Amino acid sequence: MTRRDRVRGERIYRILLRAYPRAFRERYARDMLDFYRARITDARPGVAGVARVWSQLLPDMFATAMAERLAWLHGNTDRATAIHRHYGTRREHPMSILEQDVRYAIRGMLRQPAFALIVLGTLALGIGANGAIFTIVNGVLLRPLPYANAGRIVDFAHKDPYSQVSEAEFVDYKKGLPALSRLAAYSRPTLTMTIGDESQVVEVARVSLDFFPALDVAPAIGRGFAPEEFSPTARGVVVLISHALWQQQFAGDVQVVGRTLLADGVSATIVGVMPQGFDFPNENTAFWFPWRLDVARLQTRNNHYLRMVGLLAPGASLAQLRAQANALDARWMQDFPDIYGRERLVAVIEPLREHLFGRTRPYLVALLGAAVFVLLIACVNVANLLLVRGDARRKELAIRTALGASAGRVVRQMLTESLVYAALGAIGGSLLAIAAGRLLVRFAPSDVPRLHDVGVDGRVVAFMLITTVMTALVFGLVPALRGIKGDSAETLRDGGRTSGAGASHLARRSLVMVEVALAVVLLSGAGVLMRSLIRLRAVDLGFAPEHIQTLEVTLPPRMYTDTTARMFFDELLLRVRQLPDVSSAALDGSLPISGDDSAWSIMIDGHVLKTIGESPSARPAQITSGYFKTMGISLRRGREFTEADGVGAPFVAVINERMANMLWPGVNPVGHTLKMFSATAPWVTIVGVAADVRARGIQNDIPPIMYFPYAQAGTSAYYQPKRMTLVMRTKAAGDGALVDAVRGLIRRTGPRVAVSQVATMDDVVGQSIASRRFTTGLVAAFAILALMLAAIGIYGVIAYGVSQRRYEIGVRVALGASPGSVIRLVLVDAGRTTLTGLAIGLCGAALMNQLLRSLLVQTSSTDAVTLASVALSIVVVAAAACLIPTRRAMMVSPTEALRAG
Amino acid sequence: MPSAPKPLPIDLLPLKPVELLVLTMLSGEPRHGYGIRQDILAHTNGAIELEAGNLYRTIRRLETDGLLDESSPRASATDSDDERRRYYELTPLGKRVLAAELERLRALVRLGEARRIIQPLPT
Repeated sequence: MTRRDRVRGERIYRILLRAYPRAFRERYARDMLDFYRARITDARPGVAGVARVWSQLLPDMFATAMAERLAWLHGNTDRATAIHRHYGTRREHPMSILEQDVRYAIRGMLRQPAFALIVLGTLALGIGANGAIFTIVNGVLLRPLPYANAGRIVDFAHKDPYSQVSEAEFVDYKKGLPALSRLAAYSRPTLTMTIGDESQVVEVARVSLDFFPALDVAPAIGRGFAPEEFSPTARGVVVLISHALWQQQFAGDVQVVGRTLLADGVSATIVGVMPQGFDFPNENTAFWFPWRLDVARLQTRNNHYLRMVGLLAPGASLAQLRAQANALDARWMQDFPDIYGRERLVAVIEPLREHLFGRTRPYLVALLGAAVFVLLIACVNVANLLLVRGDARRKELAIRTALGASAGRVVRQMLTESLVYAALGAIGGSLLAIAAGRLLVRFAPSDVPRLHDVGVDGRVVAFMLITTVMTALVFGLVPALRGIKGDSAETLRDGGRTSGAGASHLARRSLVMVEVALAVVLLSGAGVLMRSLIRLRAVDLGFAPEHIQTLEVTLPPRMYTDTTARMFFDELLLRVRQLPDVSSAALDGSLPISGDDSAWSIMIDGHVLKTIGESPSARPAQITSGYFKTMGISLRRGREFTEADGVGAPFVAVINERMANMLWPGVNPVGHTLKMFSATAPWVTIVGVAADVRARGIQNDIPPIMYFPYAQAGTSAYYQPKRMTLVMRTKAAGDGALVDAVRGLIRRTGPRVAVSQVATMDDVVGQSIASRRFTTGLVAAFAILALMLAAIGIYGVIAYGVSQRRYEIGVRVALGASPGSVIRLVLVDAGRTTLTGLAIGLCGAALMNQLLRSLLVQTSSTDAVTLASVALSIVVVAAAACLIPTRRAMMVSPTEALRAG
Repeated sequence: MPSAPKPLPIDLLPLKPVELLVLTMLSGEPRHGYGIRQDILAHTNGAIELEAGNLYRTIRRLETDGLLDESSPRASATDSDDERRRYYELTPLGKRVLAAELERLRALVRLGEARRIIQPLPT
C-alpha cells in the first residue's frame, strides 16, 4: 500500500486522532493510522464493513483518548514516575512532578537573584495595582446592596428643571403606576439635634409609609414605624436612629428604645435602631421619622421637593414602569398647563444601584482599566525577560529534550516556573494591594459611596487568584512555546552560540511593540483626563476662593424669631469683623459651588402673571452687606448692599449677569423690578448686577441668581433662613486658631447654636472635583509606570540585540564602518519597533479613549495635542533607552569581538 | 532527576489481561501493532478484537515500564513502501516479567486443579 492509497474514512480518523495527547500522538499516530488502514483493508468490502469497523473503533478511541489525557495530566507517563509507582516510593502523585518543578524554579531564581527580583518586582507592581483598585471597585460597585429585593428597587425623580417631585405628584403617581408594588417619598431635611446638652446639625430623612417596606429593611433593635404613626392626626414624634448615632450618642446601649432626643427643639421618642450599614438615602442620615402626609392639605403642585423610591411589582419591568410614568406626566402637562407651562415634565427612573453608583462607576472603571493595562505591560516585560533568559537556557532545554524529556514535560516545567514567579509576585502584590488599598481609601474623595467598609472578601481573593494564574499564562506561554521549538540536535551542535537569534529576536520585538502600544494607549488616556482637569481648573469661578474661611451657623428654629436671628447675626458679624485676622466677613444662605439647586418663580417689571407656568425663575441667595467684597465677586453695574438695606428700607435686590442677560437683554436692569410669584410679596428694585459665579459647581452651567439682603428676605423672599454660612476673608492662609476664635464668639453670642461644615473655600472648590482629581492622578501615575516599564522593555531588547550582534558589529567596524553607520544599525532596529508600537497604540488610543468620553470636559477623546505629546514622550523615552546599548555598540572593539566570536 | 532503582519483575505484577496477551504474543518474534491484533484474534478464536486505541495505550504503558521496545527495522518487511511499520519486541525485563506472571498463573492453575475446579491435563 502506498501513502497515496487513501482508505475510506482515513481523513476523519486522522482528525479524531487529535483527541490523544500530543506526546502520545507523536509516537503512535502513524502506527494507529496504519492499523486503521489494515483494518479497513481486511474488513468486508462496502459501507457495511467500514461501519462495523467504526462502531468498534469509536468507543475504544473515546475511552482511551480520555484515559491517556488524564494520565498525561497526572504526570503518570514518565518512566521515572512509573518506576517509582511500582516501588511505592510515593512519588507517583501528580504533586510530585509539580514539587520537582517548583523546586527547580526556585533554585533557578536563587541562582539569578537580580533577575528574579526584577521579575517579581514587576509582577508585584502589576498585580498589586490591580488588587488595590479591584478591592475598591468591589467594595463600592460590586458588593450587593443590603436590601432583599435590591434588583427591583428603583430611584424615581424628574428631569430638570423639576428634578424632584411635589406632594400632589407623589399622591398621583402612587395611584397611577401598576408596575410598582410600592412607592415611597422622602425628603432630607437638615436639623438641629439635641441629645442631653449637646446640639449638632444633622441630616435626617422624613419618609412616607412605604419607605421601609419598599427597601424591606427592619430595625436591628426595637420596632419599625406603625401605619398609624403616619396619620396626620398622630401625636408625638417617633424616630428610628442610625447605627452610627446609636454607637456615638448612646454608646450602643440596648435600652435606647423609649429614650428621647430633641429635633429642632421638638421631643422625639426613639422606637428602634436601624441595622449597621443601612445608609439610605444618605450615609450621614442620623435618624428617620414618619412623614404625616395629609392628602386633604397638600402643598402646591409646583413645589418639587421630594425624592421617591419604589419597588417594582413582581413581573413588571423597568420599561413598563417608565412607559406608565411618561403617560402620566404627559397627561398632567395637559391637565395643569399653568403649572408645567414651559418645561416638559419627564420622569427619570433608574435602578437604585445605578442611582447610587452611576456617577462613581466611570471613574472606577477607568482606574481598573488603567491598572489592567499596567499589569499587561508588566506581563509583556516579564515575558520579554524570560525570553532573553530562555535563549540562554536553550542549551539546557535541548539537553533535557535529548535525554528524553517530552515536549509536554518541558512546557509544563516552564509554565510551572511562570506560575511560581506569578505566585511569589502575587504574594508581594497582595501586600502591596492591602497597603495601597488603605492609602486609596484614606485619600479617596469623600463622595465615593460605601468607601468606609471597603475590604478584602472572597471576591477579592478570587480576583487575585485568577489574575495570578492569567498573568502566569500570559507571560509564561510565549517563552515556554519558544523553549520547545527548534531542533535540539542543532542547538547542541553549535553549542548554543547563535541561539536561533532571528526568530527569537522577532518574538521579543513583537512583545516590545505590544508594550509600547499599551503604554501609548494608557498615556493618552491619562493625557486627555489631565487636559480635562486643567480645563476645569482654568474655569473662571467668578470669585476668588483663596484665603476664605467658611463655616455654617445654624440657629435652633424655635428659639429664634426673625428679629432675634437678625440681631444674633448682626452681632456675630460685628464681632467677627473685629478679629485681627479677618479683613472682611459676610453671611450667605447658600455657598457657590456646593450650594443647592433651588429656583423660585418670579414676576418682573410690574407684569402680574396668572400662572406659574409662564413665569421665569431664578436661584435665590440671602446675603449680608460686604458679601461681594468678601467673596471677591466683582460688581458689573450699580451698587452692592449696605447696612442701610434693612428692615423698613426700600426692598432691593442684586442679580447676576446671566439673569440680567436672560430677562433684560440689552438693557441695564438697574432700576427694574421683580417679585416672588406670590400675591403678598412686595416688588423689589434691582440695584446692582454682579459677575457670574459658578454656583452649581465648576462643571455645571451658571444659573440666574438673585441676591436679597438677609434683613429683608423675610418679606421680599419668602423667609429668612436660620442656617447661614459665615464667610471670612483672612489676611493670611487660614488656620485652626481663627475657627476656634469664631466658635468662641458664636458660643458667647447665642446659646445652642450649632457650627458645621467648617472649610476653606479652596477646600469647597477642591472637593467638588475631588473624584476627578483623584482618578486623573492615579491614571497618570499608572501611565508613568507604564512608560517606565516600556522603557525597560525597549532597553532590554536593544541591549540584547547589540550583545548578540557584537560579532557582526566587530566585522563591520573592522571593514571600516563609520560610527554613524553603527549607530544607525542600532537605532533603525529600535526605531522600527517603537514607531510600529506607537502607531498601533495611537489607533488603540483613539478607540479606547471613546470609553472615557463621559469623563472628559471640553476635550476631544482624540485630542491632537495630547496624542502628539504622548508620541513625543514615547520617542524621547525610547531614545533614552537606546543610549547605553548604542554606546556599547560603538565601543565594540573589532579584535575583541572577532576573537570572542 | 534522581536515578531510580531498577525494578524487579515482581513489582510489576499482576499484569492486566490485555498486557499479558500482548506480551505473550510478542514472545515469539517482533510484531507490529496490527499483527498483534491478528495474533490475539487467532489465539482467542476471535473472542478478543483489540482496537487501536486500547492496543497502543497498552503498548505505551508497557514501553513506559520498559517491558517492550521497538525492534530494529526488519529487512524482511513485506511492504515495499517507505512507511516502515514499527515492530515491537520484549525487552529482557519484559521476558522476565512475562515469565513471572505466567509462573504466578501456573501456581493458580495448580491450585485450581488440586481443588478440582478444572481437570488436570494428562502429562
